[in-house]
Formats: sequence, structure tokens, C-alpha cells
Amino acid sequence: MKFLGYILRNARRNPVRSLLTIGSIAVCGFLTVAMLSLFSSADQLREEVKGYDRVIVMSSQGFAQPVPIALKNEIIALDQARGLNAIARRAADGKPLISPFSWFGGKYKDEQLSLFAQFGIDPDVFFDIYTELTLPADQLAAFKARPDAVVVGRKLAADKKIAVGDKFPLKGEIYNYDLDLTVVGIFDGPENRDLRSCYFNWDYLNEGLLSKASGVGANNAGTILIKCASTALIPPLCQAIDQATANSDRATKSQTEDAFIGQFAEFTKDLQTYINLLGVAVAFALLIICGVAMAMSMRERTREVAVLRAIGFRKPQILGMVLAEAVLIAGLGGLIGTGTALLLSKNWDAIAPLTMGFFPYLRIPPQVALAGIAGSLLIGLIGGYWPALRAASIPVVDGLRKVV
Amino acid sequence: MALVPLRYNLRNLAVRWPTTLLTVLVVAIVVACTCVLFGLVDGLEHSNAISGDPQTLVVLGKRADNETSSYFDVDKAQTIATLDGIATGPPRTDAQAAAGWPDVEGRPLAAGEIVHIPIMTRTDGSRVNLTIRGVDAASPYLRPDFQIVAGRYLRPGTRECILSPGMSRRFTGAQLGSELVVTDKETYRVVGLFTAGGSVAESEVWTGRDDVAAATNRTGSVSSMRIRAASPDAAVALIDTLSNDNRFVLKPIRESKYYADQNLTALFLTFLGSLIAVLLTIGALFAAANTMFAAVKSRTREIGTLRALGFSRPAILFSFLLEAILITTLGGLLGALLSLIASRWSFGISDFNTFTERMIQIRIGLVPLAVAIAMTLAMGIFGGLFPAIRAVRLDVIKALREL
Amino acid sequence: MGRPPAIILRQVSKEYRRDQIRIPVLSRLDLTVAEGEFLALMGPSGSGKTTLLNLIAGLDRPTSGEIIVHDLDLTRLSDSQISRWRSDHVGFIFQTYNLIPVLRADENVELPLLLTKLSRRERRQRARTALRIVGLEGREDHYPRQLSGGQEQRVAIARAIVTDPYLLVADEPTGDLDRQSAEEILNLMEQLNREFEKTIVMVTHDPNAAKRATRILHLDKGQLVDDVTRAEPSPPKVAESAASGDPPYVADLDTARRQEARL
Repeated sequence: MKFLGYILRNARRNPVRSLLTIGSIAVCGFLTVAMLSLFSSADQLREEVKGYDRVIVMSSQGFAQPVPIALKNEIIALDQARGLNAIARRAADGKPLISPFSWFGGKYKDEQLSLFAQFGIDPDVFFDIYTELTLPADQLAAFKARPDAVVVGRKLAADKKIAVGDKFPLKGEIYNYDLDLTVVGIFDGPENRDLRSCYFNWDYLNEGLLSKASGVGANNAGTILIKCASTALIPPLCQAIDQATANSDRATKSQTEDAFIGQFAEFTKDLQTYINLLGVAVAFALLIICGVAMAMSMRERTREVAVLRAIGFRKPQILGMVLAEAVLIAGLGGLIGTGTALLLSKNWDAIAPLTMGFFPYLRIPPQVALAGIAGSLLIGLIGGYWPALRAASIPVVDGLRKVV
Repeated sequence: MALVPLRYNLRNLAVRWPTTLLTVLVVAIVVACTCVLFGLVDGLEHSNAISGDPQTLVVLGKRADNETSSYFDVDKAQTIATLDGIATGPPRTDAQAAAGWPDVEGRPLAAGEIVHIPIMTRTDGSRVNLTIRGVDAASPYLRPDFQIVAGRYLRPGTRECILSPGMSRRFTGAQLGSELVVTDKETYRVVGLFTAGGSVAESEVWTGRDDVAAATNRTGSVSSMRIRAASPDAAVALIDTLSNDNRFVLKPIRESKYYADQNLTALFLTFLGSLIAVLLTIGALFAAANTMFAAVKSRTREIGTLRALGFSRPAILFSFLLEAILITTLGGLLGALLSLIASRWSFGISDFNTFTERMIQIRIGLVPLAVAIAMTLAMGIFGGLFPAIRAVRLDVIKALREL
Repeated sequence: MGRPPAIILRQVSKEYRRDQIRIPVLSRLDLTVAEGEFLALMGPSGSGKTTLLNLIAGLDRPTSGEIIVHDLDLTRLSDSQISRWRSDHVGFIFQTYNLIPVLRADENVELPLLLTKLSRRERRQRARTALRIVGLEGREDHYPRQLSGGQEQRVAIARAIVTDPYLLVADEPTGDLDRQSAEEILNLMEQLNREFEKTIVMVTHDPNAAKRATRILHLDKGQLVDDVTRAEPSPPKVAESAASGDPPYVADLDTARRQEARL
């Protein structure tokens, strides 16, 4: 510790160089931490939803194939017939917590693309299943009462300046039907949930489809969402459902919500591989940057190191001092980079619109932030090692003779 | 103006070779990382461009924007095939006949197809949305440079499939002769491998239309139809008929426009790439500046000597700037070379418009090279400018006295 | 003279290798330096005087021969043992002062004490005392660039004596100084030799500087060519207290510390 003052002075000796090195590590560290967070935030979401014991039943043939709504009652019956009692029931009235969960994929107002998630659900039970989403009681009552009601997420409402009572038209793309909805509520929830989504009454869509002569697309639930009574009951329920449908023309694949979310992350696996490789490459580049900066500093200080050695400083002490300086500089860079990323993520709502909707949220998981800082310290340690060793190993007599 | 000879810079770089080399390496890494991503954008756009023929129309359901969400009656498809102005099939070559291609000579080049997107498992165990396309007889004639490279073409109605060699490597059970299992009840036997000029088709599994229809209960409808117009004028007429004729009311899009519009992924990658490019450039230009500052510092006396000899301040500024650009250019070149190696890598990316897997060959074309040059120059100029300014600001007398 | 030998060199040779060629610098040199001697090493460039100084100070190792300083055979010590020995017993004074530019005068002086177990307060006090001895009281918080050459060299001397070593080595200590500053530095060294009984080995080109020494050695081509011991000037007053085993310098430090504690 008594060397700390000297180490700090050394770090400040060539302020331009130190600042450039710190800046380099900060900028690249920021990038790496932000990029790695893109995917690990999905991992974190998966971890979090595990506690809610939810199951999603989809067609075994993929997202494009819907499961029929009739399956909902069949699942309830199956659950009782098998004596599983896996489906959670509402305490007040014993209603089973199971709902259609149908992706609408429409376009809002005049928008050219379908830019946010829209789901048809059962308003009566949906917020009992998604307990982490909150909707004021009066708005929930209105949502249950009014067939053409829609509730929108807080961020979506903020982006599109939507208030309760506004019209909310959605133009069908997958369905040959346009929804003419009215906003009755704005829900909120944890930051990493999709608060740029909306939920409407599935019955309203279905009745609309049935009213058309063709009736194409009607009576399909998309997927079915179930809240289970306990984690232990999830596997038998999934197995029972999939077995029961296996030999029909609507075979299902039932899985936990976290496995369901996991699929989406797997779809972008190569991109994740690229980003991981990018992280490695950037770390390697920073290693060089840090090492070169330290080597340049040490070359300019060769004579000084020789004086220290003459005075009686031993090799390990010189090594330690140079390494400490490298770790200090690199660590400061890592701290600034990670800190900036954390700061940005805290205020992401203001920045998100600038990303053209590609990064609706940025959340830096603590382990990524820690990895960012630890990585930078390691970069200092490894990058500084060679210059430090060289500085410590120059024979004193040569170092003293050296004119810099 | 008397310029400081370039040889002087080259010698200096050679003398300080370890620092030079390492700085070059940093620039190379940064440029290569960015180039690969832009190479992916380039590959994606190239694949889309190759896939789209302006005289071929993709006919979708009225409301759909892409084949994934599109469907219409197969009767309509059959009627479309009878319309005037559709090109007719060429004679089948002997090689094509030997490979089992369907014979569509003299028949309209119109193919009603079904797109089916099950979740499949890659060889590494991860899951993905795969496109299985139930094709029509004319389908291979409507793809650019379609060729069977191994095995033979599929026989419709027999649950056979063909796919590209890239896909074959990527999916479990997709090897020639093995059984591609979608679900217990839906399996396809791989009987051939095909290429299609790097177009979108190379990311798909092809089987007979009726095979898919039966497996997915979609008999009686198609997802889309592709037709090739006989002439540009005929294309205009067909678009009008298909959009407005009461028999159809569909959404015909020129294939070139159809793929150009599926640009969400390219847009995302460009955005991501630009972000990475800008930040990494800043990071690396700091490193370049560090190297140049050290160069200026260790050559203080030389700079004084040069000034004493009569070289002007601008000449010295230019000399140091040139040296910085020299370093970053070497790095940029090395980085571009490294990314060329990466261009052998075919990259699977989820298409944001259809949520299906696309196989993209990384392509180091004009865009990635332009990005590399821009990064290189930015790093050289901004990294070299301030050190160069410091060099010219040195006091001659003091510089000469400097130890 | 009757004093015990501080430094004994026996058959010391030193050669450097450069591209397979062996360059002999010192050959079979014998030398004995008594405790409390102020030795000046003179000779033309390349005569080996700096090499000899480095060997005595334990900065370099001989190719062959023995170097014994205060009964310790330096050639048998490991690198880290010799480092520790240097920090405890040798003070260095260089031609170019070699102060650490980022440290203040008192911090420069304190530097060798960082290698000891002394507390922060003790280190500070010792550094202050050393600076007072070299006449730089009140300059503690100056950085080297704010001091004149002579002052810088005094800080360097303070740094050399702060650990109370028995040996001071100086390589051209006045080489970069003007006449007057040089005189001051030499006075100081003379004082350290006389009052504090430091054994001093000094390399110099300057006959005026060499005159201050008690003994002058001339080297040429790695050989001793002349050895002149000056008639002992007035004997040091504190010699007796030294003989009683109470080093005067430490005594002085203690007094100084007590005075400061009172302030």
C-alpha cells in the first residue's frame, strides 16, 4: 500500500497516454459489455420466468401452425381425468388459469410493418397468470367487461402517446380481419418484460373471424398458456398433453415458458457466436493496446527503473509496481466502460427510439458487468506482464547507462 | 514545399517494429471484426439480389407481406397458371432429365408453393425455424442457376426432399440418404443436394407441395405462387390482373422487390455493424494515437534536426500524419485479408421478416471494403493528427537539446 | 591507519561480451579500502572506473575474483539478497541526479525507506532530517524540475544517506554542475565522510573533486596505475563516538527527531 502513491503518480505521468489507453479500453469495453448483454439478458429473463411455473402449448409443427381453441377445454378435462390437478386455479372462484395466447401480427394505424407484439388472450384470467404484469383494478374490470378492449404496455403507450380511451386499430396481416380496439388500460411490469406489447380479447377476434363468410382462421388459439400449480407438476402435464395429441392431426409441443423463450435465443445462435468471438478479439486487441502503452512507458522509464533497482528495489517489487499501474489503468477503463453501459441501460427508454426499434431494452446483468470489470483487470495484468518483466529484468548497469 | 522523404517514415517504422507490428495488429483485428459483419450484410443483400428476378412475380394473399403469413386457394393458383403473358418452360436438357427434373417444356412457368416452418434441430443441438417449401413442377426453373449437385431431384408425393449442401451439414438427419424428421408423423427422405446460385432457395428444404399439404392439413391452399412473365410488358399486365381482377384480388410483387423489401435483417445488421465500427474505430484510433505520440516523443531531436535543416512545419505535420496512415493502412489491409478468410464461413441468421433461418455466405464486396477503408483513414487521420500537431509545435532549440 | 578494511577486492576481473568478442575491462585487480576512507577513482574514459564502482556497489558481478564488503562476500549473494544489501548499506549518487520526476523532494528521499518496515511517520521524519542535513529544509514539497542542478544533487545525496548506509558510491557527482554548486556538493560529501564516517567511493574526471578525497586511485586499461593516500587531514571530531559503537549519524537523527517531536 505504501507504494500506491508512487504508482498513482506514475499512472499520471504521461496523462495523454494514460487517458488514451483508458479511453480505448472504456470504449471497447462498453461495446463488449453492451453486446454480450444483448443475449444474456434473454438468459436472465429465462431464469426469472422459471419461478412462475407457466407452460406454453404450441403446435409440434412450429409457430406458423396454430393449435385449435377446443384443445383448451380438452386440456382442462385431461388434467382432471388423469388426476393431475396441475393447472392452477384462481383462489376466489376456482377458475382454471388457462388462456389462449394468439399472436396477431397486425399493423398499428398506418405503420408499414408489424412492429410490436399483439396477443389475443382471455382477459378474465390473463393477469392472474402473468402476475408480474400489473393493471389497476378499475382498468382490469373494464378490460374484462368490454369486448373490444385492449390494454397496452407502459412503454408502448409512451412511444405512441396512447392514453386510456384512445382508439387502437390493428390491421390484420396473418388474419383476414382488422381489429378496431379501444384502449382501456395501461399495464406495467418489470423492466425486462416486453412493455411494448398489447393484449386484447381473443373472443373478439374469433367472433370477428366467424362473422366472415369464409371463417378462415377462426377457432384457433395460436398457442395455449397455462399456469401450473407447482413446478413439480409441469413435466407430467406437458407429457400428458403431448401424448394425448400425438396421434391426431394437431400434435402439440408443450414446454415451460423459459424453454419457449430459449428457442428464440437459439434462432440467433450464429450471431451470438459472432458476438462472443468479437468479445474475444476485442479483448485480445485491448491486451495489445494496454501492453504497448505500458511498454512505451517503461522504455521511457528504463533509467528510472535502474535507479530503483540500484537503491535496492527487488525484481518482484518492480514487477508488482508496473503491473499495478497497468491494472490500475486498464481497470479504470473497464470501470468507465461498464459504468457507461450501466448508466445507459438505466436510461434506455430515452435512447431506445434512436436504435430504430432494434434494441427495445438494454439490461446489463450483474454477471456481465462484473465480467467486464474483471476482464479489464485481467487485460491490465496480462498486457502489463511482458513490459513489467522486461523492465524488471534489464541489468541495472545497462539501465543506468541508457540515455533515453 | 520540400517534403520529408517517405523512406524516412518507413525506416522509422522498421526501427520501432515491435510497436508498429502490434499497432498494425490492433487495427487489423478491429477492421476484420467489422468487415465480417458488413460482409454478412453484403452476403445477405447479394443473396436477396440474386434471388429476385424483376420479371418473376411472387403472388401473395391480399394482406400478406411475405410468404410466411400468406395463403390463398389452390383453385386461384390453377387459374393464374392459365393467364396470358406467362413464359413457357424451356426444353429439359439431358443432364436435367438424368437428374430427375420435372419436364415443363411448353407449359407455363408458374409454381404454386406451400411454405411450412417447423422448428428443427441443428447438428449442434440448438433449435431453429426451418423453411420447408412444398414445390411445384416449375419451381426449379424459376430459381437462378438451379443445379442438382448430388443425388437427384425429388419425386413429388413420395415424401422425398432435397436441400443445399450447406443445409445438409447444418441439420441432423439432413445428410444425403437419411431421413429428415420434423415430427414423428412428418419425415422426409433426403434424395438430392442442390445449389441455386447462392439465392434464398439454398436456405430451404424442398419437397413436393402435396407432401407438405398433407402433413400440415393445408390441402386446398397455397402460400404463394411464382410466375415468370414472358416480357416486361406482360409483367405489368399480370400485376394489374392479379391485383384487381375479381377472380383473384391478390398481391403480386416483383420478385426483385419482394426480396428487397425483406430488409429488416440487413437493416439490423447494418445498424449493429455501424455501431461496432464506430466504437471500435474510436478505440483503435486511441491506440494509434498512443503509438504516434510515443514516436513523436522519442524523435524529438530528429524533429528539431529536420526543422533546423529547413523542413517546414507543414512538411513535418504531413510526414507524421502519413506515418500514422501508413500504420493503419497496413492494419486495414491485414484486417481485410483476415476477413476474406472469414468469407468462407456461411452464417445462419434468423430473418427478421419471416423468423426463418437464412444461410448467408459472408461476402467481402464493395460495402465491407468501403467500411474498411473508411475505418483505416479515420484511425490514421484522427490518430495521427494530434501527435503530428505536437511534433510541429516543438521548439527547435529545445528539441535539439533534448536528450 | 589502523582501521578495519571496509572493502576488499581480490583478483577481480570483469569482461564484457559483445558479439562473441570478449572485452576485458578489469583484470586481476586487488584493492582494499578502509572504513571511513573517501576514495576517488580517476582515469581516462574506458579505464574501468565506473565498472569498478558498480562492482563495489553490488550493481554488477565480476567475471572472477572476490569482493568482500564489511565481511560479506558479494559474489556469493543471490540477486534478491544483494538488492536487500544495497537498500540497507549502500547510498548512490549519480552524475545526472536520477531523481524520480513525478515525486516531490521529500518523497524522493523517502523512496528507499519504502523498502524498510518503518511506519509512515518515521519515514517522513527521517526524510525531513536527511533533507535538513543536506541543507534543503523548506524545499520538501518541491518537484525536481523546480530545483536547480545543485539542489537536485543534494536531494539525491539525502536519498543516499536516508537509510544510514555505511557505503556511499558516487559516479561523477559534480559532472553536470557549475563550479560553485560542485564545491558545495563536495563540501557536503566531505562532511558526510568526516562527521558521519561514511566510506565514500567516488568516480570523477575532475582533479579538483579528487583533491577532496583522502585517497586517489588512478586506473588505466583495467589496471591500478597509481595510488595516492593524502595525509590525513584534521581527524574527525566524532571519531570517538563512532568507536563506542554509537553511530553519530543515527544519534544525530534521533536528536533531530526529538526536536521535531517537541515542535
